[in-house]
Amino acid sequence: MVTDTSSSFGPKYSGGAGVKPPHEATAQAGAKPFLLRHPSVLIFIACLALFTMGVTILAEGFGVGAISTSFVKTLGKTLCLCLVALAMDLVWGYCGILSLGHMAFFGIGGYAIGMWLMYARTEIIVAQSLAAAPLPPTAQEISDGIATQIFGGVGASEFPPIWAFAHSLPLQLAAVVLVPGLIALVFGWLAFRSRVTGVYLSILTQAMTLALSLYLFQNDSGLRGNNGLSGLQNLPGLDETPQSVVSMWFFWASALALGGAYVLCAWVVSGKFGSVVRAIRDDESRVRFLGYSVEAFKLFIFTFTAVIAAIAGALYYPQAGIVNPAEIAPIASIYLAVWVAIGGRGRLYGAVIGAAFVSLLSTWFTGGQAPDINLGTYTIQWVDWWTVLLGFSFVAVTLFAPRGIGGLFDLISDRRAPDRHGADLGPDAGALQEKEADK
Amino acid sequence: MSALLEVSGVSVSFDGFKAINNLTFQIGKAELRAVIGPNGAGKTTFMDIITGKTKPDEGRVLWGDKSQSLLALSESQIAQAGVGRKFQRPTVFEDQTVADSLMLALRKDRGPLSVLWFRPSQADHAKVQELADEIGLSAALARKAGELSHGQKQWLEIGMLLAQDPQLLLVDEPAAGMSPSEREHTTDLLVEAAKTRAVVVVEHDMEFVRRLNCKVTVLHEGSVLAEGSIDHVTKDDKVIEVYLGR
Ligand SMILES: Nc1ncnc2c1ncn2[C@@H]1O[C@H](COP(=O)(O)OP(=O)(O)OP(=O)(O)O)[C@@H](O)[C@H]1O
Ligand SMILES: [Mg+2]
Repeated sequence: MVTDTSSSFGPKYSGGAGVKPPHEATAQAGAKPFLLRHPSVLIFIACLALFTMGVTILAEGFGVGAISTSFVKTLGKTLCLCLVALAMDLVWGYCGILSLGHMAFFGIGGYAIGMWLMYARTEIIVAQSLAAAPLPPTAQEISDGIATQIFGGVGASEFPPIWAFAHSLPLQLAAVVLVPGLIALVFGWLAFRSRVTGVYLSILTQAMTLALSLYLFQNDSGLRGNNGLSGLQNLPGLDETPQSVVSMWFFWASALALGGAYVLCAWVVSGKFGSVVRAIRDDESRVRFLGYSVEAFKLFIFTFTAVIAAIAGALYYPQAGIVNPAEIAPIASIYLAVWVAIGGRGRLYGAVIGAAFVSLLSTWFTGGQAPDINLGTYTIQWVDWWTVLLGFSFVAVTLFAPRGIGGLFDLISDRRAPDRHGADLGPDAGALQEKEADK
Repeated sequence: MSALLEVSGVSVSFDGFKAINNLTFQIGKAELRAVIGPNGAGKTTFMDIITGKTKPDEGRVLWGDKSQSLLALSESQIAQAGVGRKFQRPTVFEDQTVADSLMLALRKDRGPLSVLWFRPSQADHAKVQELADEIGLSAALARKAGELSHGQKQWLEIGMLLAQDPQLLLVDEPAAGMSPSEREHTTDLLVEAAKTRAVVVVEHDMEFVRRLNCKVTVLHEGSVLAEGSIDHVTKDDKVIEVYLGR
């Protein structure tokens, strides 16, 4: 958190004499607990808690019923999107890696939890239907029954090896974290080790995403091809529990995950680690000459954020009810980058604001609620034109407000950043830096 | 006296152009050395080779008592081995405060996990303060590096270098763009630093080099043209011809 690091030096430098030595202020700040040194984290947690309580009171499940269950799900899903945006901000806004693959990790998280949800629920249904048979069913019969139920649609009736652990919730939960974590680790190791950076790295991550989504589209991928996994909103064995209650559970879980991840990310980027990571973003070769292994730090951030993205996905898809390969398509990851850019990268709350704002607006526009604009000869229907509007907003933000919505907070907090006139913070604009210094 | 760094027979060419040609160079453990030479002589490339940025086509670069080859190491490993470098253009992290920059450079374990758990102690803060005093930036500790003047950025970079506590300091044109009084301060810093470690200074400005009062190596077209005291090399006919006489 850039804001907090500078404000933790206490009295702002004014250039004159009599300013308290910054060192003293730093040492004192070091003694205070983490949250007090970073008031923005505290404010964020307070806002999130208030929001969660407000929704709880207004929703059907445990409250007065002013908010519909489907809207609770929308809000819960939005919290998950905020969570994955947080991961994106860490990897892109702080570390400078424009990954166009984090929605793939999000999707994998969804698939991992979806497999258990689908398996366990189908198992109960099959067991019930076979219970009526004269002979008690064998384990093989039950397994075949589940397979037929799940894979009948894609013309198979046997479990592919990838479903080996689908019967076990703990194992699939482990897969939520381990599978994307391992993919990110191996992919990142290969890419960072050969010093692929910038646009090339973005293309590479996008290629990975595309390959994964094309693979999943195939029927013999073992994950039901383009049908994906469905019925995920129904928790196994809890048919009696109404969706209004289940939706609240997931809403709370999403809020908890977002709050926890926010504190964790803020902790990671505060202090020296954050300093190294931002230095890598601004000038990675200089960091190498300071003796830091840039690759190791990038790999750490890439893998860590992939895991956060996967957890977000595992919470998102049970609320969405269905996960299919289209969700993993590269466009999803591009949207993610757009959210973070619009919200303001390089600050955690910016990512959250961007994701919440754009995705809720998107729901509004594409849901047909936005009033169409009649131009006489042509009627602008937002369902079709929303993406165009989003595209223009993205271009506008990039050109005119590179700090995004989060930049508005700078007006209040007076966060000082050197005005680079749009130039890089890195060494490439060296000549420009000198000219500026001469002024 | 055993050498700290021994470069021998090193050559590098870029697209057929020999930037460094059979270069041999040695420096002892607590020695100040000035390297001069016309533009394009290969001074920066020479530093690139030592710090691992450029791999030479041939030759050896040996380091320390154990005569370890630096050629097999990555940039960060070379830096950890004890080679610090200041670039020709000041490259500071514009978005970070002076205090953070110095803390970043402070000699500590560089692994991601130990950095993650690192929290500065009183001693670390004191060290940062001390360095800031040394480079005349103690009043600017809380300022972003990008707000500093050109000369202050140069000093911050020297400060970061000192914070690394390297055994060998490579300093590329430290006085470029500095006012006369700033230059003097810079000379003092470098002479002081060279009391406990090896320092190689690349500089164009003869007055500056004279004030350093040390052995001078003249580079020309990628190899050593002359070596010795400043008076010795400035009297050398070849040196006068290619460099001073222009
Ligand atoms: N990466 C590179 N690719 C191609 N040519 C290069 C590269 N790096 C350096 N050179 C060339 O090698 C020669 C030596 O360059 P170098 O930067 O080492 O000179 P220098 O002595 O530092 O000069 P200056 O005093 O201008 O800083 C120059 O002719 C330069 O153009
Ligand atoms: Mg040079």
